[in-house]
Amino acid sequence: MASADSDTQPTEAIPHAVKIIVAGGFGAGKTTLVSSVSEIAPLSTEELMTEASYGVDDLGGVEEKTTTTVALDFGRITIGTDIVLYLFGTPGQDRFWFMWEELAAGALGAVVLADTRRLDTCFHAVDFFERKGVPFIVAVNRFEGSTEYSAEEVREALDVPEGVPVVAADARDRKSSKEVLVELVTHVLRSRQAAMSG
Amino acid sequence: MNAERQRPQDEAATELTRRAPVDLPPPEGEEERFLRPFAVDAGVLAPRPGGPVEQLEMLSRVVAARTPGRNEWLRPERETILTHAQRAGTVVELAAELGLPLGQVRAIAAEMLAEGSLQRCGPTRSLGHSDILHAVLVGLRSL
Repeated sequence: MASADSDTQPTEAIPHAVKIIVAGGFGAGKTTLVSSVSEIAPLSTEELMTEASYGVDDLGGVEEKTTTTVALDFGRITIGTDIVLYLFGTPGQDRFWFMWEELAAGALGAVVLADTRRLDTCFHAVDFFERKGVPFIVAVNRFEGSTEYSAEEVREALDVPEGVPVVAADARDRKSSKEVLVELVTHVLRSRQAAMSG
Repeated sequence: MNAERQRPQDEAATELTRRAPVDLPPPEGEEERFLRPFAVDAGVLAPRPGGPVEQLEMLSRVVAARTPGRNEWLRPERETILTHAQRAGTVVELAAELGLPLGQVRAIAAEMLAEGSLQRCGPTRSLGHSDILHAVLVGLRSL
């Protein structure tokens, strides 16, 4: 109904709500990164999905469905009075692609957190953002005891183009996480300028 | 359908469980979270004569257009949403604050928008995508 869209005159300024996605495999440090830069303790909601189960007991056409919950964690950074930035961690499991679609819609960009001990766990994220045209950077999260790889080695393994920044990060460290986000937004701006002039 | 003979009483038992009164003390944990939403959005997603219900993004911002009414106790989720949305907030934050699944809050909020209990609110100051990116960059640098 048209009336539902009519403007209200709130007393406080309403900011733009924008988002950045933090993706990566399970245990890559997504929630850690979100927590370290968020101004609030990360909030969590869940999405329900119903899936048909293919159990061993064939009930002959009786639909057996199970409901699974997908946790969605997010943090918030207030950028002045006009903008609030939300940081969304992607659900770790690959089968929750439907959530990724919505997260990607309208996102400023994405950070793919890579864990070099299990680099393959972030392949899906790279594929997804490339396919969707969401600008992203790769942040290699440092883990105790993991071998140090150069950015070039990681870039080569992930097969990401030269223009996509690959940076080292420590998701536990606020300053480092902040720099990752700065790097992403700088990259997004640079890509836009290149696209406009080209 | 040879399955008929395989389920003599099981289905009847399931049926009975579903019809049990809902005013039992809510169980803590998974069971409640799994069952409750189906009761909460019953009918909400049914086709409406006025056309499809508005789609709300997770970052769509809504604000209450009225205070909870006397009959709101019949639909406690709506009452809670009205109370929480006295200040404009995003759908996803509303879901997190209420401890309800995003999909349910989205569905109920869409219905409430359609009936006029909630209103959408857009940003006070209109900004272009580039302006937003530049502002975010400056804001992040100064963290």
